[in-house]
Amino acid sequence: MPSVSEVADREAVYRLVVAEDAYLIREGIRSALEREEDEVDVLEYCPDLDSLLRAVEEHRPNVVITDIRMPPTNTDEGIQAATALREDHPEVGVVVISQYVSPHYALKLFEHGSAGRAYLLKEHVGHRIQLMEAIREVAAGGSVVDPKVVDVLVEARMRAKNSLLARLSTREREVLAGVATGASNAAIAESLFLTKRAVEKNINSLFAKLDLTDDKATSRRVRAALLFIADSDLEERADL
Amino acid sequence: MNRSAVSRGAGLGQLDLETEVRESAFGAALTKSDLAVIALAFAGAAAAAAIVATGGVTSETTAFSAVLVANIATLALGGLVWRRGRPSSAFGNLLLAEGALVLVSSLAGSPNSVLYLIGMLGVWAVALGATWLLLVFPGSRVSGAAWLVMGAALGTFLLGALPLIFVSPSVFGVSGIAGCAAACPANPALVAHAPTVAEVFRHVEGGFQAAWGIGLVLYLAGRFAWATRARRRLTFPVLVSAAPLVAVFTINAVVVDLAGVRPSSAGIAIFAGARILYPLGFIAGLLFARAYAGETLAFMARKLVGRPSVAAVEQLVRRVLDDPLARLVFWLPRSGQFVDRHGVRTVLDPAYEGLTWRAFGHGDTQVLAVVHDVALGEDTELVEAVGAAALLTLENRRLEHDLLDSVDALRASQRRLVGAASAERRKIERDLHDGVQQKLVALRIQLELLRDLARESGLGSRLEGLATDFDDALDELRSTAHGIYPPLLADEGLDAALREVARRASVPLTVDLEDVGRLSEDRETAIYYCCLEALQNVAKHAGEDAVASLRLWRDRKAVRFSVRDDGVGFVPRPATKGAGLTNMTDRIGAVGGTLAVRSNPGEGTSVLGGVAIEASDRIDDAVRV
Repeated sequence: MPSVSEVADREAVYRLVVAEDAYLIREGIRSALEREEDEVDVLEYCPDLDSLLRAVEEHRPNVVITDIRMPPTNTDEGIQAATALREDHPEVGVVVISQYVSPHYALKLFEHGSAGRAYLLKEHVGHRIQLMEAIREVAAGGSVVDPKVVDVLVEARMRAKNSLLARLSTREREVLAGVATGASNAAIAESLFLTKRAVEKNINSLFAKLDLTDDKATSRRVRAALLFIADSDLEERADL
Repeated sequence: MNRSAVSRGAGLGQLDLETEVRESAFGAALTKSDLAVIALAFAGAAAAAAIVATGGVTSETTAFSAVLVANIATLALGGLVWRRGRPSSAFGNLLLAEGALVLVSSLAGSPNSVLYLIGMLGVWAVALGATWLLLVFPGSRVSGAAWLVMGAALGTFLLGALPLIFVSPSVFGVSGIAGCAAACPANPALVAHAPTVAEVFRHVEGGFQAAWGIGLVLYLAGRFAWATRARRRLTFPVLVSAAPLVAVFTINAVVVDLAGVRPSSAGIAIFAGARILYPLGFIAGLLFARAYAGETLAFMARKLVGRPSVAAVEQLVRRVLDDPLARLVFWLPRSGQFVDRHGVRTVLDPAYEGLTWRAFGHGDTQVLAVVHDVALGEDTELVEAVGAAALLTLENRRLEHDLLDSVDALRASQRRLVGAASAERRKIERDLHDGVQQKLVALRIQLELLRDLARESGLGSRLEGLATDFDDALDELRSTAHGIYPPLLADEGLDAALREVARRASVPLTVDLEDVGRLSEDRETAIYYCCLEALQNVAKHAGEDAVASLRLWRDRKAVRFSVRDDGVGFVPRPATKGAGLTNMTDRIGAVGGTLAVRSNPGEGTSVLGGVAIEASDRIDDAVRV
């Protein structure tokens, strides 16, 4: 247990509010976050949307972890919370945790801006690196999409013959997927065993091929890449 | 007229009504009772002629007997025609009764004084009977102002002619017309000859008779003036044929009796001719009414082509009956009552507010009734024609409704089944998501934490293998749950769910998905699975290079979708309609939608579908066109 002075000294201590209505998952999150207690301080666990918004008002956290589907309507309260907080507390980062692998929800989360927003599958909450990366990124204004969501999407798109993604080289595709998850160039380089320079080269060529601009703001770059993978082939074609 | 039972009701919702089934009234063979009537009439006429002929009292005998025979013949013919043409009417029998009275009056030609007296009383009865006939036609009972005329007639006889018999040596007929003029038999009823008293009675008789004649003229004229058009059609021939009779009678009553002038022989001749002729007017009236009813039926048949509303039928009924208060009411067998076209219970009471009614139906079943003015009550042919036309039209509509109802019922039950299945799938998806899947996710988190702790020991790699197995199980469960019911469809609607389908489609696909708003769950599910099925068909059958397009849009009436491809296509035949296509058709059909599949070898395949928008659909005004 770090002393008060130690906590105050530390540069990055994340003050969290967690919203999750299912007991088992909440306990899982609690265990995962207790493991990070030197970096993370959970101020309150909430069971629904209203109590989450109240807790934010009360504790002024810098990161919120919220279930996507909670009372009162059990649909997309997590996304509603993210939208509401962008208005009222733009400085608060939001990690939406979900059982849905469908990119629709991730895209919906980014609809009103992707800065400080992460979409993480619940099963990866126990994964130390993924969870902490999501928390750090949203606190710093970045974006994260669970790699699995991107993988499933890329896989589906690749099955489709004539997909625009098929025009990319395998390496370019891997890099694009990395960009879509919100990974930095350095992180992509590390995961693909490439030099940072090679990653940059790949990014330049694929963005040119896809007619995307390489936005310097990483959160917008994530959104563009994700949107591209999700919807690029779905535009109306003149010949049909 | 078609074979329909016509019942006339006299009571409140009375069911065991007098029911008759009629063929064409004049077309049928003569019945035994008709033959009996004819035989009686001829026998009577022959007897009358014989009585008069054997009497041989006066020079006028031959003419008198001829007039009586002819009169009986026309009355009997009229009675016969009415009995056959309008069996429901008592008027035919009244004509026959009048004929019988004429038969009795023929005794006035007898030289026997008693028979002569009976005959002379018969002459009075014939005059009263003829008055009755003219007053009540086409009904059978005197009512209202007609009683004043009938009262004057009865007064003439009871207060004048009848007492006169007891104080005067000679018996006088109506207006001095009799079978004998000079050598009449003696009066057997004479009590005492009292000329002064007789003169008083004679004046009473004359006064009443003048009132009788003038009253009859006024009554008939007034009734004609205020009659409905239908009633005028019926009474016009009667007025024309009865005019000479009434005119001569009235002139005699006023001039002869009051002024004491003897009737001229010309007047007597006209009177005799008029007596023979006037029953023919009743026949003509009936024929006119029937002809008009036939025309009306044809007119209505022309007007009721297509599918007129009940209100339109009722309006037409009012028009042809010339009765603005006429109504159609409908019999509800289950609740045993009549209701009007607004469904309001209607009590039928013929004595109520001058209305009467006639029920129409098939066999013993009544279907509807025409409520109309009492004045139309004796225009049977017209009301029957109108009722039959209304019955035919509305029966057709009812059959059509029954058919539509059963189709609706079938569709509703199909929809309920599909809806229940869809609700069940959705529940299973929720249960999986909130139950097993959640538990697995929680365990997966715990497993990851454990793996962290165990990383240093040799346990780490084994736990990693377990984590991979876990991920596979989760993936499988997730895709199963999604296949059972896509949560996105319930949460976000058709366009979002279909976009997701398109993202995962294994064929190159262009989409054009409009925000169509939210429909009921069963209809959204139907459209969703149809598109899914159609896309799977493209992947399976359209061939290697096929490119597909998915479109969702809405217009004013329906939400529509299309799945087209440019693949190999097929020849659409009932036999090629596999389980997939049948499934799609059933799903869309269950929610009342339509589905069309078009294909040709080498020209690709198009699946087009639509589901009607309902009032309860949540569609933003901006989206509503």
